[in-house]
Amino acid sequence: MTTATYSSHAHEHERSAHGIGYWLTMALAVVLLAFGLAIFAGGVWLISLGGSYYYAIAGVGLLLTAYFLFRASMAAFSVYLVTWLGTLAWAFWEVGFDWWAQLPRLLAPTIVLLLVAATIPVLKRAEND
Amino acid sequence: MASRHLATLTLALGLGCVSAVPAALAQQTSSDPAPADPAAGQSTLPPVPADGDGERPAVAPGAAPGAANEGGAETAGIGTDRSQPQATQAVGDDWPYYGGGPKAQRYSPLDQINTGNVGNLERAFVYRTGDMPSERAKGKYAWEGTPLKVGRSLYMCSAENILISVDATTGKENWRYDPKVSDDAIPYSASCRGVAYYVNPQAGDDAACKTRIIEGTLDARLIAVDAKTGEPCEDFGDNGAVSLWDGIGNKVPGWYAVTAPPAIVRGVIVTGAQVKDGEAEDAPSGVIRGYDAVTGKLAWAWDLANPELTGEPADGQTYTRGTPNMWTAPVGDEKLGLVYLPLGNSSVDYYGGNRSDAENEWATSLVALDVTTGKPAWHFQTVHYDLWDYDLGSQLTLVDFPTDKGKVPAVILPSKQGDLYILDRRTGESLFPVKSVDAPKGGVEPENLSPTQPTSAYHTLRKKRLTEKDMWGATPLDQLWCRIEFRRANYDGFFTPPSADKPWIQYPGYNGGSDWGSVSVDPKNGILIANYNDIPNYNRLIARKKADEMGLKPINERAKEDNGSIPAKAEGAGDPQAGAPYAIDVNAGWRSSLTGMPCTEPPYGGIRAIDLATGETLWDEPLGEALRNGPFGIASRLPLTIGTPNNGGPLTTAGGLVFVAAATDDLIRAIDVKTGEVVWQDQLPAGGQATPMTYEVDGRQYLAISAGGHHFMETPVGDYLVVYALPQNAN
Repeated sequence: MTTATYSSHAHEHERSAHGIGYWLTMALAVVLLAFGLAIFAGGVWLISLGGSYYYAIAGVGLLLTAYFLFRASMAAFSVYLVTWLGTLAWAFWEVGFDWWAQLPRLLAPTIVLLLVAATIPVLKRAEND
Repeated sequence: MASRHLATLTLALGLGCVSAVPAALAQQTSSDPAPADPAAGQSTLPPVPADGDGERPAVAPGAAPGAANEGGAETAGIGTDRSQPQATQAVGDDWPYYGGGPKAQRYSPLDQINTGNVGNLERAFVYRTGDMPSERAKGKYAWEGTPLKVGRSLYMCSAENILISVDATTGKENWRYDPKVSDDAIPYSASCRGVAYYVNPQAGDDAACKTRIIEGTLDARLIAVDAKTGEPCEDFGDNGAVSLWDGIGNKVPGWYAVTAPPAIVRGVIVTGAQVKDGEAEDAPSGVIRGYDAVTGKLAWAWDLANPELTGEPADGQTYTRGTPNMWTAPVGDEKLGLVYLPLGNSSVDYYGGNRSDAENEWATSLVALDVTTGKPAWHFQTVHYDLWDYDLGSQLTLVDFPTDKGKVPAVILPSKQGDLYILDRRTGESLFPVKSVDAPKGGVEPENLSPTQPTSAYHTLRKKRLTEKDMWGATPLDQLWCRIEFRRANYDGFFTPPSADKPWIQYPGYNGGSDWGSVSVDPKNGILIANYNDIPNYNRLIARKKADEMGLKPINERAKEDNGSIPAKAEGAGDPQAGAPYAIDVNAGWRSSLTGMPCTEPPYGGIRAIDLATGETLWDEPLGEALRNGPFGIASRLPLTIGTPNNGGPLTTAGGLVFVAAATDDLIRAIDVKTGEVVWQDQLPAGGQATPMTYEVDGRQYLAISAGGHHFMETPVGDYLVVYALPQNAN
């Protein structure tokens, strides 16, 4: 997908490119934007209190993912995969195999990974346009 | 007490197999080995015979005691002679005391139900007391009852103190006596943990009230009824009742209430009362009183701040107000003539600047009182200058403690901080070193804080200090919020003092460690069983001006109508502490303001087996499944052992089993005492926040647990006594 097609929403490609998958992708982008903002802002606050750097960094990952999802760019998946892998590494560094402790660290991020992965067909189609 | 709301969502994602939480090992406090705490274990007891104190032979109800009764010089009226031990009843076929036998070990020698056949247990009967909360009392019920069993009858009190006897094999009601307790007498909870059984050694076998059932009520009366008929004992007080309000001051219903069974030692009924926490410094006295078990006459009073006053105060006077009280169950030693009183804190809990020296001397201490005189023999303080509501809540357990020099008569003293102390019950001296650790400084009254605090070198149930990574949640977002709360609070570990500028973290919280459920001892195998909580509280002092703006008023200034309509809340969640410069706000269990889930990761409770002789951990498992917990109060229905908050004690039997409910999953379970493995469980019809008991009739062993629920544990309220046995033809 090019900037040109992105900015030409209203034209003839709209019907094929902006089906239900596209709008679900945009919805996911909105959700990740909201969570990304909250986690980034809270993460900065936590750093200012002397706490973990993870959340601010993960917040950036979420915001970038949201940005690329808005652009319907495959970079969204790559960026989030990196964020998720970083999360995985951090989570095991913090608590190892304590699965109850992993619940807040890995469950939601893994759901997000699956959701972002599910947008790949939409992103591919958009890139091919 | 504390709370829960655990949580889990795991459903869809197969986030890997959720393994059992690794057994946490006993964490030893890592301070320098310090000399014994100087303020602990002071002894003023004259020497007493040091021979063994094995379970005295059982005396059937009605049998004459070995002791001579001619004396009685000290005793008013026809009261009993307190100079000699009276007969005790053995635990076995019967369960004659709240804690089982006279030693309150919560242990039964019965073994018909054992590790081999426990899986076959089925319900023998379910009895319902009929005592369910009225509209007005909704959200304030927490029955917590454990019945007694003597002969062929069970004896119990319902949540609002209805005395009941049922046939122990069928649940058919023999009699009931309703003392008509009003809903406005409910303090924190409508609880009646149990009753006491007493045999009048002076009465003829057929005399009325030869055997009697005695309880303390929420509206602060002692009630005595005939165990055979349920008729009030005419010889006891005013037609079977004695008012405990005498000498306490203005009668404010709900402020002064009895929720635990009294101890009866040498014919003296010993009771304290719950003084509702957090109301005002000028609160009802914590006076301990002894009453003649036959006549109901006041035998003595012990007012710790006015030791000269041993009778009733003069007209218009009261026992010293605001002093540390005893709300839990005492236990006695007939032979030594001592009664062991686990005292709570002064009124109020979270500010101490106005406390007297006497309060500071006795608060949160175990006190051994001589029942013949009402004078203290020794005491052992578990917290100096308690600012954390670390009341001693567990009934003491008497043991013949194995040492190099033979068996020593000892008591096991559990505490809310998680420390278990083993004390020589004759002298109060600890059999293991009592360490003195440096306490955190700061808070609103740094000049008053104790620089050191005691901990036990024998064993502690307390886990290591919290760190930011122990914060929990359902998602990274709420976990992040909890991390922010953690970093914003004052927290310098165990005993962080109360603060007003910022919240502070109290860990363990006021639910323990060990609370009223206490511990159990298997004397045969030398194993101590303790279930415990592992939950912090997130607290903050509120300056008086702000508290006034919030409209926080003590119970005596609130309109009576308000008291009825104010919904029950967690203890301390906005308590006025009138008279102190600060009110208090407690977030019990430190629940996230976003989701209602705890801010710290599970487990929130566990059960541990400890080698009695050495204090070493044998096994340690989380207690309770996640069934009923989840974010936003939604039950997850996950049958995964997460370790929930729990309230209620364990029962250990010679069948190699520990029976325990207590957790928030409404299950009663049997655990193999050797391995910690759950070998049987059953779903109760309501919350099992009570200690189970067992007994035998006609060669058949029964297991009984009350399912009364608990408002604060957020379990369903009920009025059930659920009784199990093995199928009859299978034995």
